[in-house]
Amino acid sequence: MERVVATLYAVAGIGAGLVGVALLVFLTAYSWPLVTQGHVGTVLSTTWNPNAGSFGIVPMILGSLTIAGGAVLIAFPAGLGICIFLNGVGPRWAARPLRAVVELMTGIPTVLYAFVAVFLLVPVLRNIAGGSGYSALSALLVVAVLITPTIVLTIDGRFEQLHGQLYLATVALGLTPAQRLAWVYLPAARNGLIAAMILGFGRAVGDTVIALMIAGNATHVPSSITGAVRTLTSHIALVLAADTQSGAYYSLFAAGLLLFLFVLLANIALRYIGSKERST
Amino acid sequence: MKWPNSMKKPTHMKRQAAGRIENIVLFGSWLSAGWIATVMAIFFGYVLINGAPTLGPRLIFGESNWIDVVLRGVPAWGGLYAAVVGTGTLVILTSLIAVPIGVAAGVYLACYARGRIKRFLSFAVDVLGGTPSIVMGLFGFGLITFLRATVFPDARTSLLLAAVCLTMLVLPYLISMTRMSLESLPLELRLSGPAMGLTTQQNVAKVLLPSARPGILSGVILAVGRAAEDTAVILLTGVVANAGLPRGLGDKFEALPFTIYYLAGEYRSAEELNTAFGAALILLSLTGGLYFYARRLKRRWRNST
Amino acid sequence: MSSAGKVRISLIVKAGMTVLLLSGLVVAVWAGGASERTPVSEEAARIFDGQSGTIEIAGGTAHIPVVERAARQITTANPAVRVTVAGGGTGVGIESVGRGQVDIGSTGRAPTQAEIERYDLHPFRFALDGVTAIVHPSSPVRDLSTQELAAVFSGRIRDWSELGGEAGSIHVFTRDEGSATQSVFVSEALGGTSISAAANVVPSNGAMKAAVSRDPAAIGYVGIGYVDSEVRALSLEGVEPTQENAVDGRYPVVRGLYFNTSGEPSALVESFYRYLETEEGAELIRAAGYIPTGGR
Repeated sequence: MERVVATLYAVAGIGAGLVGVALLVFLTAYSWPLVTQGHVGTVLSTTWNPNAGSFGIVPMILGSLTIAGGAVLIAFPAGLGICIFLNGVGPRWAARPLRAVVELMTGIPTVLYAFVAVFLLVPVLRNIAGGSGYSALSALLVVAVLITPTIVLTIDGRFEQLHGQLYLATVALGLTPAQRLAWVYLPAARNGLIAAMILGFGRAVGDTVIALMIAGNATHVPSSITGAVRTLTSHIALVLAADTQSGAYYSLFAAGLLLFLFVLLANIALRYIGSKERST
Repeated sequence: MKWPNSMKKPTHMKRQAAGRIENIVLFGSWLSAGWIATVMAIFFGYVLINGAPTLGPRLIFGESNWIDVVLRGVPAWGGLYAAVVGTGTLVILTSLIAVPIGVAAGVYLACYARGRIKRFLSFAVDVLGGTPSIVMGLFGFGLITFLRATVFPDARTSLLLAAVCLTMLVLPYLISMTRMSLESLPLELRLSGPAMGLTTQQNVAKVLLPSARPGILSGVILAVGRAAEDTAVILLTGVVANAGLPRGLGDKFEALPFTIYYLAGEYRSAEELNTAFGAALILLSLTGGLYFYARRLKRRWRNST
Repeated sequence: MSSAGKVRISLIVKAGMTVLLLSGLVVAVWAGGASERTPVSEEAARIFDGQSGTIEIAGGTAHIPVVERAARQITTANPAVRVTVAGGGTGVGIESVGRGQVDIGSTGRAPTQAEIERYDLHPFRFALDGVTAIVHPSSPVRDLSTQELAAVFSGRIRDWSELGGEAGSIHVFTRDEGSATQSVFVSEALGGTSISAAANVVPSNGAMKAAVSRDPAAIGYVGIGYVDSEVRALSLEGVEPTQENAVDGRYPVVRGLYFNTSGEPSALVESFYRYLETEEGAELIRAAGYIPTGGR
C-alpha cells in the first residue's frame, strides 16, 4: 500500500514535469519539416505572404518585442513606484486598499482589459496619436497594466524579506521611509528587480488576447508605434487556416517553439539570479 | 548580508543630490500609485456602469422562457446561458483532471523528491507555468491532427480537448501552491509524525495534507479562476460562437471569455453589445469572487500556522 | 480554526443562501411574465422529423448570420438536432472540413479544382453575395474608381483629401489571407493589386463592419449582406453595390456562398440543404442580406 501510494505521487510529479518536455518535443517535431523542406530561410524573412510562398515571422517577432519591451518600460518603473508606495512611503489608508487592488488584478481576465480598451483607449489614441488606434501603442499600454501586478508582487516579496533583515537598522539610523527605500532596500533588492523585469517581460510576450484585439495585426515590420503590429501569439491565433502541408502551417509551430524557448531561457536566467542570491 | 555600497555615508557635497533623488522617489511612488488606482477605477467603473443595467433574466435566457431553458433544454436564443454553462462545465472538467494530478505532484515535490530529480521537476514546472497559453492551445490543435492521423480518426476539437489543454495551463499553479503549503508547515509539525513512527505516507495523509488544506484549496481556487478566464487556449481547442449546451465531452461549446472576445469584435446590434457588457460583468464578478474567497482562506491559514 | 470563526462562516453561508433564493424568486416572477416563445417552423419540423445529431460548421464568416437563423428554426422545431457555427474564414472552412474536423466547411467562393480533388469536396452553393468597400457613414466620399480603390488599399493614397474627403490619414482595414472576401475583393475590385501589409487585419466580416463603423477615417470591405446603416457602401465606378446589381452583373464584384462536405453529404447535412432550399430557407437567406440561389 505504502509503495503504491508513493508510486502514484511519483507518477504525478514526474508526469507533470514531463508535460514541459513533451511540449518541447512536440513543437520541435512539428516545426521540423521547415528544416527538411528547406523553409528555414523563408521563415526568418520579413515578408508574410503565404499565397506567394513567403512565411516570414520576423515582423511578428519584432511586434512581440515592441509590445513587451514597451510594456516593461512603463510597467517596471510604475511597479517599482507602487512597491515603494506600499512599503512605507504611502499612508496606511491608501496602501492597504491599493495592495488589495494589485492582488485582485492578478485574477482579472485578460480579455476584459482588451474589451474595455477597445471602447475607451482605442478611440482616444486615434484622436491623440493618429492612426487607427489599433496599434502597438494601444496594446503596450494595456499590457503594461496587465503585467504591473506581476512586477509589484515580485519586488514586494523581496522587500518583505529585506524588511525582516534591515528595518530596525534603518530606523536606528533615523532614515525617513523614502531614504530607507531609496538607499537601502532598492540597492539590496537588485536581483529581485531583475527577476521582476524578466517575469513581467515573459508575461507580456505570452499575452495573446490583448494584442489580438487591439494591436491591429498588420503583417509588416513595425515602423511606427502608432501603426498596427502583429505578435507571435496573435499570429498563431489568426493563421490556423493554413493548409496542413504548407510552410505557413509549420511556421506556426516555429512561432510556438520560439515562444517556448524564450520562456526556457527566462527561467534559466531566473535560476541563475536565484542561485546568486543564495550565495551572497 | 553585505551592506549596500550606497550606504557609505553621503558627504556634504552629495547630500543635496541625495535629497533630490529621495524627492524623486517620493514623487514617483505617489505618481505610480495614483496611475494604477486611476486606471483600475476607470476599468471597474466602466464595466460596472455598462454591465449593471444589462443584468436580468434576458441577459442569461435571451428571448426564451427560463423554465423552458433550464428544465426542457430549449436554447436560450440571444442569451448567455450556453456560455455560462459551457464555462462552468469546462472549469469542473478541468478541475477533475488537474486537481488530483496537481496536488499529488505537489506532494511528491514537497515530501518525496530529492536532489537532482527535485531540481529538474521544479524547473520544468516553472517553465510550464511561464509558457504562454496560446502554446497550450497550439499543442491541443496539433494533438488532434496527430490523433486523427494515428489512433482516433474521429477526434475533433472539443470540450475534453480544451479541458486537457487547460489542465496543462493550471497544473503549475496547483503544484506550486500545494508544495508551498506543505513546505511552509512548521518544522515540528512536519517531524512529529515520523518521530511517532508514522511512515511518510501516513504522515502526508493524516497530518500534513489536512494541515495544509486551506493553502491547497486556495491554489485550487486560483486554478479555477485561471481556467475560467483564459481565452487563448479554448480559441484553438473547440470553442465556437454558437453551439448550445454541450451534450457530451466530444461536443463543441460556448464560453464566457470567448463570447466577450467575439462580441467585442463583431457585435451586430446595440443589444449584442449590451450582452457583451453583461458577460464582462459576470466574468469579472466570478473571478473577483474567487479571488476574495482564496484571500480569506489564505488569511485564515496564515493565522493558524 | 476557532469556533467563533465557524459561527461567522455558517452565518455568511446562510445569508448567502437566503439572498440566492430570494433573487431566484424575483427572477422567476419577472421572467415568467416577460418572455414569448419562438413559433415552431413546420417546414423544419417536417424535414428534420425523426433525425438527431449535430451539424458542425466552420469557415467563411459571411455565412454566420444565415446559419444562426437556420439553426434557431431547426433546433426549435427539433431539439435533437443542433447546429454549431464557428468562423475563421474560407481557408479554415476548406482545411477543417478536409481534415474531417467539422461536417460542413463554408466558403465565400467556389472551392478550387485542386481543393476539390485533394479533399473530395462536394460544394453546395446556396447564395450570391457582392463584396463592397465600406466607409464610416459620416464620410463625404461616395464613389471610387478601381484605380482609386487599388491606390488606397495598396497604400499609395494615404490621405482622404486626395479622394475629396476631409484631410486626415486613411485607416485601411483588411482581412487575413485565408478570407475569400479578401481574395474576391482583391481580384475583382482592386484589379489584382495586393493590399498593403501595413493595413489593420480583422478576422471576419462582422469584425470588419464593427471596426469601420467605429472609425470615421476607416475604409474596409465586406459582403454586401453585412452592409447596414452603421457603414456606407461605396459605389464602384458609379455602380451602386446592391445585391440586385450584383445579380444583374452590373456590379462586378460578386461571389457565391458555398457549403462544402468532404465526400457525399450525410443524411443530416442533406436535410440542412433541403431546408435552405425551401421558401422558408430562402427567406432566411434574404433576411441575412444575400440572394438565395436555391441549390446545386
